[in-house]
Amino acid sequence: MAKVKDKQIEIPKLETRAEVVIPQERSQLAGGSGLLHTEIMRLNVGPQHPSTHGVLRVVVDMEGEYVKRVEPHIGYLHTGFEKTMENRTYAQNFTFAPRMDYLHGFGYELAYALPVEQLVGAEVPDRAREIRVLLTELNRISSHLVFLGTGLLDLGALTPFFYTFVEREAILDIFEAIGGQRLHQGYFRVGGVAKDTPDGFEGMVKAFLDGFDAKVDTYEKLFKTNPLFLERTQNVGIMSEAVALDLGITGPNLRASGVALDHRKTTPYSGYEQYDFDIPLGTHGDSFDRFVVRVQEMRESAKICRQALANLKPGHIQDPNRKISLPPREELETSMEAVIHHFKLVTEGYHPPKGEAYVPTESARGELGAYVISDGGSMPYRIHFRSPSFVNLQALPVIGIGGLFADLITVIASLDPVMGDVDR
Amino acid sequence: MSSLTTALEKAKLREYPILEEKIKTVIAGLDTFKAFLFECKMAGFSLCADVMGVDYLEYTEFMPERFAIIYNLLNPKNGERILVKVFVKDDEPVPTITDIWRTAEFHEREVFDLFGLEFSDHPDLRKILTPEDLDAHPLRKDFPLGETPTLFREGRFLDPAAFRAGLAGKDAGLSGWRGGSRIDSSLVPQLPTAVPSKER
Repeated sequence: MAKVKDKQIEIPKLETRAEVVIPQERSQLAGGSGLLHTEIMRLNVGPQHPSTHGVLRVVVDMEGEYVKRVEPHIGYLHTGFEKTMENRTYAQNFTFAPRMDYLHGFGYELAYALPVEQLVGAEVPDRAREIRVLLTELNRISSHLVFLGTGLLDLGALTPFFYTFVEREAILDIFEAIGGQRLHQGYFRVGGVAKDTPDGFEGMVKAFLDGFDAKVDTYEKLFKTNPLFLERTQNVGIMSEAVALDLGITGPNLRASGVALDHRKTTPYSGYEQYDFDIPLGTHGDSFDRFVVRVQEMRESAKICRQALANLKPGHIQDPNRKISLPPREELETSMEAVIHHFKLVTEGYHPPKGEAYVPTESARGELGAYVISDGGSMPYRIHFRSPSFVNLQALPVIGIGGLFADLITVIASLDPVMGDVDR
Repeated sequence: MSSLTTALEKAKLREYPILEEKIKTVIAGLDTFKAFLFECKMAGFSLCADVMGVDYLEYTEFMPERFAIIYNLLNPKNGERILVKVFVKDDEPVPTITDIWRTAEFHEREVFDLFGLEFSDHPDLRKILTPEDLDAHPLRKDFPLGETPTLFREGRFLDPAAFRAGLAGKDAGLSGWRGGSRIDSSLVPQLPTAVPSKER
């Protein structure tokens, strides 16, 4: 242990610092003929959709065919959600939360709801909890399906995109039935969900889940044994456990490197402790592992969905506390008190007591949590989202170098950044 | 309570006031926090999940300094978490922790960009999220949300009131568009010349 009393502490040189890993024999600059003019080429990629994940701009220094340095430039989708949410009531902010990560919107809604519930002391009924888990996991599947489809599209495989988007459409149809929108539902509330599930909801989910495992087998058949795919992804962008931890990587990217960190298991929230599922782990931490871990995660999520669907019993969907949740529509016609509560909640909202709360959740991309600071007002004093893609993108300059340019695209695809989540 | 936290507590935690028990939050001084973070890393909190800034300018309670930086550390083995809060003044450089965790590079750039807090010895302290010509730090509490002119460098200037007046047809507005025909360019409001933020 370091001496704590001293201000000047000795921090050992970490071995995880990125070094340029171009082997000398492959380097034109080091061993090339003196007669040839060689120089480093600076290549601009983007800022639009280099790998169909959003607006990412990458400046790449190429040494011949090999990538020498990568610098991501982000912020093209920065919309200042955190500042905006500081100036809206807690209930209004459910509109903003899913818009940050447009592929895993329910994950963001859940990450926003949990700390606010902790601050106001709202109780979430069992049925609402299970609906939340069910929707979040369905959304995780749809997010991974987009990852798989577009990720393989980046590698030049056009077919899987059409396969995965068929299933994604089925999930989005379920979301459309439940919240009216396909991507940004704004369906969760503090203390529950906005309204009960529509008729036929369970049948829709069941119909989707019944055939899903066979579909995952099809996807795996499409890429897992394909020699071209193996050649493109195996031993490309290897991220060791130490590098991943140094870079703060979480989620499937970290699990592909062999660290069993899943907040659904380690610090269960929203009733995840009652579900039986496994954490798929990779061994090498290369791009191939990152693909495989996510595909296996789809199976585990489907498993959780089945259990949640079986647990789904009729019951309340909101905290009955009228100071937090809106009164039902029919009460407004008969009860003056309900009208007063409705008016106060809609115009002013609730006032959580002073305090700070952070609940880590597992989004499709890694650790996602909202740090909410309340000053006793009806709007959050400060809200900060620990967004996983923002952190995961930092791996790009470290593991994206040393290979061919096409390998860099593989690495971007396998890290699965969602630029809305990066820029917020 | 795991053995790691117990070890940490025995070693060091006692010197710092614990704010919150649910997620252990600790206040550390600007001069000692880095050593404490390093000790946390040695005690098993090997993943720095987050570095965030807070501006307590309009908070309803007295705070030691205007700004706070919250370091969010995680033990990946068991999911334990410790939050270290450091209060800092405006214009006071904060020691970087990028030599302990490389992940802090982006986080510290974000805090620098949105709060204007400087980190000493950061390898690459540039703006990260906001446009390069925005000469302000949006998450500061005195940065207004709409309703006031936003000054960009190179003379670009956005005045919401003039912009709305232009849309409503009452005034020339920013674009000089008055719903129908282009008007004389002399009627377009003159943009104030850009002033460096230091002088403002």
